[in-house]
Amino acid sequence: MPVSYRDHANITEAILGFAEYARSHDMNVGIREAQEALRVASLGLIQDKKYFRYALKSVFCTSADNIVLFDDLFSNYWETPYEYSQSSFDIKSKINVQKPAVRSLVFIGKGGNKEAREEDASEVSGANKIEKLRKTDFSKVTDIDSAFLEKLAINLWQQMSRRLKKKLKNSTTKGIVDIRQTIRSNIGRGGTMLELKLKNKKPDRNRLVILLDVSGSMDKYSFYLLRFILALRAYFQNIEAFIFSTKLIRITEYLKSKNLEKVLAHLSAGVDNWSSGTKIGACLESFNDMYAKRSLNGRSMTIILSDGLDTGEPELLSRELSKIKRRTRKLIWLNPLKGMTGYQPLAQGMKAALPEIDVFRSAHSLDSILELEKYLAHV
Amino acid sequence: MIKEVSGFIESFDKLGYVVDEELATILFLMTDLKKPLLLEGNPGVGKTEVANILAAHLGTELIRLQCYEGLDVHSAVYEWNYQKQLLSIKIQESNQKSDIEKEKHIFGKDFLMARPLLKAISGKTKSPVLLIDEIDRADEEFEAFLLELLSVYQISIPEFGTIKAIHPPLVILTSNRTRELSDALRRRCLYHWVNYPDFEKEVKIVHKHLPDIDQKLSEQLVSVIHVLRKKGLEKSPGISETLDWALSLHALGRKELDEESFRRSLGSVLKSYADTEKIKAEGLAKLMEESNL
Repeated sequence: MPVSYRDHANITEAILGFAEYARSHDMNVGIREAQEALRVASLGLIQDKKYFRYALKSVFCTSADNIVLFDDLFSNYWETPYEYSQSSFDIKSKINVQKPAVRSLVFIGKGGNKEAREEDASEVSGANKIEKLRKTDFSKVTDIDSAFLEKLAINLWQQMSRRLKKKLKNSTTKGIVDIRQTIRSNIGRGGTMLELKLKNKKPDRNRLVILLDVSGSMDKYSFYLLRFILALRAYFQNIEAFIFSTKLIRITEYLKSKNLEKVLAHLSAGVDNWSSGTKIGACLESFNDMYAKRSLNGRSMTIILSDGLDTGEPELLSRELSKIKRRTRKLIWLNPLKGMTGYQPLAQGMKAALPEIDVFRSAHSLDSILELEKYLAHV
Repeated sequence: MIKEVSGFIESFDKLGYVVDEELATILFLMTDLKKPLLLEGNPGVGKTEVANILAAHLGTELIRLQCYEGLDVHSAVYEWNYQKQLLSIKIQESNQKSDIEKEKHIFGKDFLMARPLLKAISGKTKSPVLLIDEIDRADEEFEAFLLELLSVYQISIPEFGTIKAIHPPLVILTSNRTRELSDALRRRCLYHWVNYPDFEKEVKIVHKHLPDIDQKLSEQLVSVIHVLRKKGLEKSPGISETLDWALSLHALGRKELDEESFRRSLGSVLKSYADTEKIKAEGLAKLMEESNL
């Protein structure tokens, strides 16, 4: 595939070639963008490379994320003197199988069959990969996949919380008269207002309290679970979040902060230093002492994310859990270890906790967390 | 330089807005392609101002729609004036007009309250500039609706009919990236990321707004602001903070920046308790040193 304007006979072809080049690097460039690029040139902006670059950038880029890529592509394509440039982008395109040079056909969406088949195949493997990753235990994800999984997870979780938000919006049984709807629905009665339609504020979202175990044994999971909390935060205004290992720390206010990563790195460094084992019971005790009255009520749901490997006393844990249980509507315990085949809740802490818990589920993979939706829908 | 682009720069300059070549190029392109422009960037870099000045430059009306969560069609597009309609029905009860005529009357133009979007497509003589501010704050549903409007520039009102724009508005959308916008909306628009201005440009902006400020003071302010922006604060100071600060120091009658006046005017630069504490802890003197003062 041509990677420089010099490979084309005339300006029009060169510009269309650039559109194709950009598209082959995953930029969102379609027919309309290509047409607009031609228009940009015909406006005279092509006289000066600087302005040509500015203009095409605004047409081809759809987000701040692809500005850097665009700049590289532009330089590669329009500024290569004679030989193809050796940048990483071009290496990628050279490895690719040469695509048939039927540009006009490609543009109207009838590219060569061979090309189409190749793309299909890669799509399938991509989809397979996603399916597989969704079921993979977080602790077994390789470094290469982890960035991809993180992106995928955030995406899916955000979709989930968006769906949850929609559910919350319905149900209006009381409120002020919605005059517009009232007139509409009473047209059939000759305009006599028999049936009143009401409108109400969106109901207050009920509170969600999340306690995340960040001790050493949870290390691999807490990274993803924290992102899950962040995704929920986008749609649940009333979210209270805590992390604990040997001490309980409230992180609700940090969830809004831009520097969350930094804050957490700082916090967890501190936590590790103190840790001689997880003290779930003691942490729940301090939660009950300091926060429970404020943050728990009959409408709240409490989620504990922990593997239940406790070094404290089981009695304490059980007692504190039952305190929480009395204050909250539903108590959910998510244990990543539960995803392992043959797992039995034999750990002392987990055993003590089980009788107090309403729902006991696993949270080891993306899919297992997505299954939580049905519980969250009733928050 | 391309004639039209330099025209934009000069005209904007006269109107008190310092525009760089890139944005000028895009604005020129936007007026030609009649495509909406999506501006993203940190708060306080003058995104909204672009629309104001563009309207002034083109000598046309600016219509502004501020988005917020829960914004719906009734407050964005149109609403019937129900009270007036009900009164009108009562008044007409005794006259001899037919029902159809009566209905036609109460669903007439007099009873229609146009909200920003409807106003924007019913421009009579010239394309207005429509500013849709902070689109990321509106719900997804509204975004979807907007998508339709931006592609055909027409609005259907069931009782009234379809209104199609004779002069489609020039649309500028701004976003602070609090929520990811849909790809579909992004693809409808030209895109421009508004950066913080560089040193010279920002000094120029200060002088544009405060023509009689001391050159030294303005340069000092801007260099401190530039250092602050690199500190990763919760709320990095934008151009509006620079201007506020310049204004307050100017009002205090300062000719140059010293530690005492810095301390007294800190509130016009840093807008969050945590940031103020952080900077105070680091020491104002040290900060000024970093800024080569």
